Amino acid sequence: MSLLLAPLCVLWPAAAVLALADGRRRAVGWSTVAILGVAFVLLVLLAVRIVAEGPVELVGGGWPIDVGIRLRADALGASMAAVSVFVVLAALAQDVAAGTSARLLPALMLFLALGLTGLFLTGDVFNFYVFFELAMISAYALSAAEGGPRTTGGALIFAVVNLLGSFIFLIAVAALYRTTGTLEMVAVAERAAEIDPNTAILIAVSFFVAFGVKLGLFPFHFWLPAIYGSAPPAVAAVLAGALANIGAYGLLRFGGGLLPREVELGEVVLIALGSASIIYGAIQAIGRRDGREVLAYSAIGHAGYVIVALGIGGPVAISAAVLFTVVNALGKGLLFLVVDLRGPLVGAAFAVGAFSVAGVPPMAGFFGKAALFEAGIEAGSVAIVVLLFVGGALTFVYLFQAYQQAHWRPSPDDSRPPASRGARLLPALLAVLILAIGLWPEPLLALADQAGSDLTAGSARP
Amino acid sequence: MNLIFAITIGVLFGSGAMLMLKADLLRVVVGLVLVSNAAALTVIASGLTRGAAPIEPLPPGKPVADPLTQAMTLTALVIGFAVTALLLALVYRVYETHRSVDLDDLSRAEATSGAELGREPLEREDEREELEV
Repeated sequence: MSLLLAPLCVLWPAAAVLALADGRRRAVGWSTVAILGVAFVLLVLLAVRIVAEGPVELVGGGWPIDVGIRLRADALGASMAAVSVFVVLAALAQDVAAGTSARLLPALMLFLALGLTGLFLTGDVFNFYVFFELAMISAYALSAAEGGPRTTGGALIFAVVNLLGSFIFLIAVAALYRTTGTLEMVAVAERAAEIDPNTAILIAVSFFVAFGVKLGLFPFHFWLPAIYGSAPPAVAAVLAGALANIGAYGLLRFGGGLLPREVELGEVVLIALGSASIIYGAIQAIGRRDGREVLAYSAIGHAGYVIVALGIGGPVAISAAVLFTVVNALGKGLLFLVVDLRGPLVGAAFAVGAFSVAGVPPMAGFFGKAALFEAGIEAGSVAIVVLLFVGGALTFVYLFQAYQQAHWRPSPDDSRPPASRGARLLPALLAVLILAIGLWPEPLLALADQAGSDLTAGSARP
Repeated sequence: MNLIFAITIGVLFGSGAMLMLKADLLRVVVGLVLVSNAAALTVIASGLTRGAAPIEPLPPGKPVADPLTQAMTLTALVIGFAVTALLLALVYRVYETHRSVDLDDLSRAEATSGAELGREPLEREDEREELEV
């Protein structure tokens, strides 16, 4: 069996079977964690192979090329898939260790991981939509899984807004099919230059709106604080660390890969929106006291960096965006997992996550920020470099405020007992991993470099 | 034909968008269903070609209609159906806890329960605004 198909083949039957079991039982929970672990290892092997041998392809059902549906993994897809599945794995393990309260939570996490893996590894635009909806529907169900009036309300807003985004995406896919006559991403990229410019801009704007909503970019961010604040911690970690990657990946793939001319045309708009997002997120986050809300607005701010990098364009900026997305997903996932916990180890894990997201060496996040600076300097824009610096400084300020609020100031009404040892140990492991990546970033840098050159090579071909 | 499709899709999407702005959650769900159908119709319209039905054996020498868009639409419809079911379940859960599906009632209830919990009303106001957006 191909390495490309293996993660999907592991996840799909397991998710279907485990949906019937009671996820509150520890055996079911830990077997779900084991299955996700296997899928993650397979994805890492795939990424290693791609760095060594280049993109991997597979045409489904033994059909000839251009007839069958194609799975295609390049460095961008494989790195996003690996990091997303890893965040889902960490969040699920944490939730199982703390004792899952929702029956379907483990199975839904598997479906979510399946959808994410599928959409990052597909080479077909419509297939992307199907996997994307699979991941999104699992996310809607997950965000409502815990029950509680406030959670349900947040989940409803989340679902309605994101569904509108999904349907706009579907309309854009239909338009792309109408104008290029194909759904293959590679063929679409080749023929995109021949689309009538006016139509192409409309299509590009639709894709931008659709993925902007997913990512929680500044003008489309309004749903984000409601759901990030009300969802259970494991689910919030998955939303911020795994699901937001769809938005970043979609913008890079559809913007940088398929419609590069339109991105170039909209460069100023992209950079302006990205900057607005960074500033807005940071300023809102500084004004909040609740740790969850700080993180939610921080997610809006960090969405801006990806857009700014996409606006700058070129291999350096694209690989910076990939690198930033990967390390930011790890940091954000960790922060959401520990934000509600109390006890020893937890504070240290939060500090590591906060330093990583703010971009302080030797955490992994430093390399994401450093790559962005490099891209800004290469673009020769003083404004962008200043913006990145101010954004980074503000991130540091509000995350440190949140840390101080949670761990230095013993509040009298805090009756929550310290979390169980398992639930505290896991974030600590994640923090050690972030430190390890920060100390030995070469594999990740190589992957991001290849993702950047792959994407920009595809667009420069015609 | 293109014009008829364009007008229909426009009207469907427009009415859907209008319904989604209402405070009644059931109307919001119906609005989303309309938007999903507008999207499905767009997919159909993206493959509008004159020709025979694309069923084996194909008529020799004659153009056949594009079968791919039909398959895509079918998939999109199934997804839309699943999503509608999920949304209705969520709305029902809201109804179970609040005995109302009106967003204005919900935020009012949330504001009072927040006040009972001793949280500052200002902060709740803030969240209410976010909910209403």
